[in-house]
Amino acid sequence: MQGLVKRYGKLVALDHFSLQVHEGEIVGLLGPNGSGKTTALNCILALLKYDKGTVEVFGKPMRPDAYDLKRNIGIVMQNVAVFDELREEENVDYFCGLYVEDARERRRLVDEAIDFVGLGGFRKYYPKKLSGGLLRRLNIACGIAHKPKLLILDEPTVAVDPQSRNSILEGIKELNRQGATVLYTSHYMEEVEQLCTRVVIMDQGKPLATGTAAELKAMIGRGETITVETYMLAPDDLERIRRLPNVTQAYYKDNQLRVHYDGGLHNLLHLLDYLKQREIPFNRVFSEQPTLNDVFLEITGRHLRD
Amino acid sequence: MFMHVFTYRLKCLVRNRQTVFWTLFFSLLLATMFCLAFGHLTSEREKFEPIKAAAVDNQAYREDVRFRQVLEHLSQPGDNQILDLVIVGKQEAEKLLEEGAVFGIIAVGGQGGSNPGAVRTQGGQAEAEAETETDVDTDADTDTDTGTGTDTGADTGTDTGTDTITLTVKERGLKQSILKAILDEYVQASRTVASILATNPGAARQLAAELQQRKGYTEQVSFSDAVPDTMLGFFYALIAMACLYSSFWGLRNTVDVQADLSSKGARRSVAPTHKLKVVVADAAAALVVSFAEVLALIAYMGLALKVRFGSQLGYVVLTCLTGCIAGVSLGHFIGTYVRGSEGFKTGIMIGANMAMSFLAGLMWVDIKHIVHLKAPVLAYINPATLIADAFYSLYVFDTHRRFFLNIGLLCLISAVLCTASFLRLRRERYASI
Repeated sequence: MQGLVKRYGKLVALDHFSLQVHEGEIVGLLGPNGSGKTTALNCILALLKYDKGTVEVFGKPMRPDAYDLKRNIGIVMQNVAVFDELREEENVDYFCGLYVEDARERRRLVDEAIDFVGLGGFRKYYPKKLSGGLLRRLNIACGIAHKPKLLILDEPTVAVDPQSRNSILEGIKELNRQGATVLYTSHYMEEVEQLCTRVVIMDQGKPLATGTAAELKAMIGRGETITVETYMLAPDDLERIRRLPNVTQAYYKDNQLRVHYDGGLHNLLHLLDYLKQREIPFNRVFSEQPTLNDVFLEITGRHLRD
Repeated sequence: MFMHVFTYRLKCLVRNRQTVFWTLFFSLLLATMFCLAFGHLTSEREKFEPIKAAAVDNQAYREDVRFRQVLEHLSQPGDNQILDLVIVGKQEAEKLLEEGAVFGIIAVGGQGGSNPGAVRTQGGQAEAEAETETDVDTDADTDTDTGTGTDTGADTGTDTGTDTITLTVKERGLKQSILKAILDEYVQASRTVASILATNPGAARQLAAELQQRKGYTEQVSFSDAVPDTMLGFFYALIAMACLYSSFWGLRNTVDVQADLSSKGARRSVAPTHKLKVVVADAAAALVVSFAEVLALIAYMGLALKVRFGSQLGYVVLTCLTGCIAGVSLGHFIGTYVRGSEGFKTGIMIGANMAMSFLAGLMWVDIKHIVHLKAPVLAYINPATLIADAFYSLYVFDTHRRFFLNIGLLCLISAVLCTASFLRLRRERYASI
């Protein structure tokens, strides 16, 4: 995807947006609602007209009639896209049948997809009888049954319980291990961080930063933050803590000592050693690693879920 | 691939209970209600029951052989029986009339006539309980009117003298009117005979022969052997409406195939299946379902409600098929060209269907003729009118010219709607989703 521009009237949904996904990657498009993630996916899939730019899939231009390319693409929509009138296995069979004509081969693929998402016990169920989490899994099964080389997932875990979410994320990792390249959009930074080998942070139709989660965090120059509950801390002790290795900032307020680091190893050990040495009593200790939200906050001045 | 899409589409449509209700059971319900509401109109008109009447058994009646013979003839059991006559005494006759067992009392003599030769009505006419009398003077007193003084009892050898025929009824109604008409006819014929014989006594034989052969000077010409039935107009319009309800299936198809209308449409649009193949397979499934529904409706009407569709079953089926094609095409057209949510499109479609059915005479039969007179173009582009008229022409006319004109126009409309819809549907990239 190169220099894509998509306008809705005066609103610029994609502003010279470029993205390259390499074979075997799991690329996460991370951005708040309305940042242009779904629009970008729809342009890639040749569903949406765009004003400028080019889209290539597997090295070939992507067009609505590029059936040879479409054959190797799987899509999991943000909204569940299944027929209420068809049973679970009929839905999977129907959508798989749009890609695979051979009935026996299709039967095998459908069975595999159903087992893969753990819906073997619900084959005869109509979608309305399935819980939200199971429905999402069915939605995924319909998108992956034909074993696509490129799997595009648009916020597949929205409104899903944590257990089902973990199951879905593990499933996507497994598909990637089996050879699928994955393009994944979400506004849940934890998911993207947990799943993706590369992350593209976007906002207002533009890519803001690209890299692995670690690279993005490193980019903002902020390390972990350690918080210690203590009821007595002399001002000179606070000053000494500020001079410990890697410490960029330290302050004491409401019986809590907060220390920010710019990186380095064993920061918690050094801090606790100091407190022990000075016989300063303390209760609970927290260590927070920087998040992609911090990255987004650093770049845009806003939180991801604003 | 086509069969795969077609089979699953068929399953989807058949299992869609809500739409099945509106497209099948609603029509069955309406047909039943039509039959319950209007069915008795047809049956009353078709089944003529002999009119119950009482003749007063008195001296004058027994002596008026000619009149007695006429009444006996009209009371003979069979297809041509008009009267169900009982001959009783005056009091018994009055009792029967009071109880409603007879519609009128026919009496000869006794009452006399203040205005011989004319029909006279006595009593309170507007009140149901009031008694109405109709006096009919038969013969001898015609002297005063005609001035001929001829005895019309010559044929039978019985002169009724001053006797008057009296009809007494309790209330006004169709059957009472028929009784009166019979007696009027008898009086008129008697007077005519009397008049002719008075001027030309030698013409008796010829007159008797001609009276045996009544000649009508107007002739009813039917386009076919069928008996015209206003009720059929309602049923035809109902079938037309059922055909047009196929548009529900067409609309459902367009929603499920367009990426900007449903996520299912988006998923199908990114699949490596040609759009035309998907659209045609979906439309074929919709047609099969709707056609089966209309056939079920026809079968229900024909077998359960005893609605007559003539003997041309093949053409009836052809009409249903063409009507369903037009309905599915209409649904596709509205689904692709009307912008808005699925609910909005459905509302527009229901409105269009009802408007077309109204103009085809579903709610008011006469509107169909008014449209034909005032805006004939509207009749030629309204699929509901064309379907209803195709059925009607099958039933009424022996030739198929008008039938095939309707079918041809329906096919043309369907082709235009289908082409326009596909041209829009094949637009494979959307401005927004």
